[in-house]
Amino acid sequence: MKTRLLAFAAFILAAGVLVVPGTIRAQQGTGQETKVASNNDPAPAGATTSRAAAAQPAPAKQEDEDALRLEGQKRFHDNCGRCHQAPHKLPPRMMATAIRHMRVRATITDEDMRVILHYMTQ
Amino acid sequence: MLELSSISLGPLAPAGRHTPRAVRALRLLIPALITFLLAPNLLAQSQTEMQAQSETQAQSDTQAQSDTEAQIDAALADSQSISPVPVFSAGLAYNTFFQGGTPNLHPLVSPVVLIPLGQNWLIESRDTFEINMAPVPGENGYKGYLQKEVDYLQLDYIVNSHMTVTVGRFLTPFGIFNERLYPVWIRNLQTDPLILPISTGPSGAGTGAMVRGGFNIAPKVEVNYATYFSTLSTDTPLDSERELGARAGIYLPGPRLEVGGSYQHLLQDDHSNAFGFHFAWQPSAIPFDLRAEYARSDNGSGYWVESAYRLSQAPVWRHELRHVQVVGRMQQFYVGKVPNGVLPTVNTNMFEFGVNYYFRDDFRLVSSYGRQFAPQGGNMNVWNVGVTYRLALPVGHGDIQ
Repeated sequence: MKTRLLAFAAFILAAGVLVVPGTIRAQQGTGQETKVASNNDPAPAGATTSRAAAAQPAPAKQEDEDALRLEGQKRFHDNCGRCHQAPHKLPPRMMATAIRHMRVRATITDEDMRVILHYMTQ
Repeated sequence: MLELSSISLGPLAPAGRHTPRAVRALRLLIPALITFLLAPNLLAQSQTEMQAQSETQAQSDTQAQSDTEAQIDAALADSQSISPVPVFSAGLAYNTFFQGGTPNLHPLVSPVVLIPLGQNWLIESRDTFEINMAPVPGENGYKGYLQKEVDYLQLDYIVNSHMTVTVGRFLTPFGIFNERLYPVWIRNLQTDPLILPISTGPSGAGTGAMVRGGFNIAPKVEVNYATYFSTLSTDTPLDSERELGARAGIYLPGPRLEVGGSYQHLLQDDHSNAFGFHFAWQPSAIPFDLRAEYARSDNGSGYWVESAYRLSQAPVWRHELRHVQVVGRMQQFYVGKVPNGVLPTVNTNMFEFGVNYYFRDDFRLVSSYGRQFAPQGGNMNVWNVGVTYRLALPVGHGDIQ
């Protein structure tokens, strides 16, 4: 019986040895990540931007443009596509008038209107 | 207690009566100790993992948000430089209806003029000229007369991002069909819903002032509103009733679903009230529209439900079928206690099925078949075939100079 009890205690001890250091290591890892993140936070915006700009060549700008186009497409479908099909390409100044008309008609916000106009004139 | 410890320790549990008290106490203490030791660690681990995940998510969200805001700022700057130009547009349609075996020819022209002024002003107007030509018994050919209507002629002032003030003649914002779906190049079926004249009257317009706009009450919840006052006008084609009303809707961009309600109080005659509800859903995964309206007033009540599906995701003949749209609509109308001349005079049910073919986004062939069920000989088939076209021209240089 004593042997069984000792074996059980040893098993618990071994489990504790395995679990507790793992937990501590996980906590340390998280703390380091948090520290890294907090180190990034106070960095000057200009410095971060310039580093990002230096690291981002032309393809990154293209990605931004694609993202904006997707955002414009989404907002078009959310506002204009609720009633009608997407029109074919119109001249930019004409599209600006049509969008203003639809801003009144479809109660589109100013931000949505400009993003949609950007999307429809690219 | 003994039974519990025996169960928890399993094979380690000896016969309780002969077990030393210290050992029994140990058997109870060890699990409690294990729990006491491990629980805080496990809890801390889960908390730190959740915290790490939330921090990572927050960082990525913040970065994505700042990127989007920067892109939007760039778009705003770009669009600021585009000065709008006056636009002339028109909706044109030529429909042939067969109602109960009688053919009706229905040409329609609906010119639209848009004149932007400065950054915040817009003059807009739309008129409708249509003829309903039908054969006259005993005579040759088709006869009809030209109907004219000023749908709207309004001056808009964009106060801010969430409010626009309108004065003049405007489309009555009751429900969604009259304002959003009425133009011949937009509507999926060329026949009007039976309940359309409820609260919009024969002209569908009011003459007075209106305040409207939209805003976000949460990141994924948009609200749109319109409130108006109209005065009495008996001069055709500018006729309107003296009334006030409002419409509000909530739109969820995620599921692309909108629900809303309308209210109108008549300030003349019987001073009656009218109300309505509307619903629209366009799932983003499939080219499918589901729209519905309900309206009730002293003149009558009823509803329509319409669904439309563009076959652009068909598994076969996709190149051809992507131009095809199939439409179905079901509607019912019930006569009210104060019958109105522009509404059906008897309870009426109707279903319609249509097929539209889009040559382009602004040019299409439309067709439909409907069956109307009404007492007093009102049962009939309604066939329609026609074409619709939308014209749009800049008045001036449309391109950026």
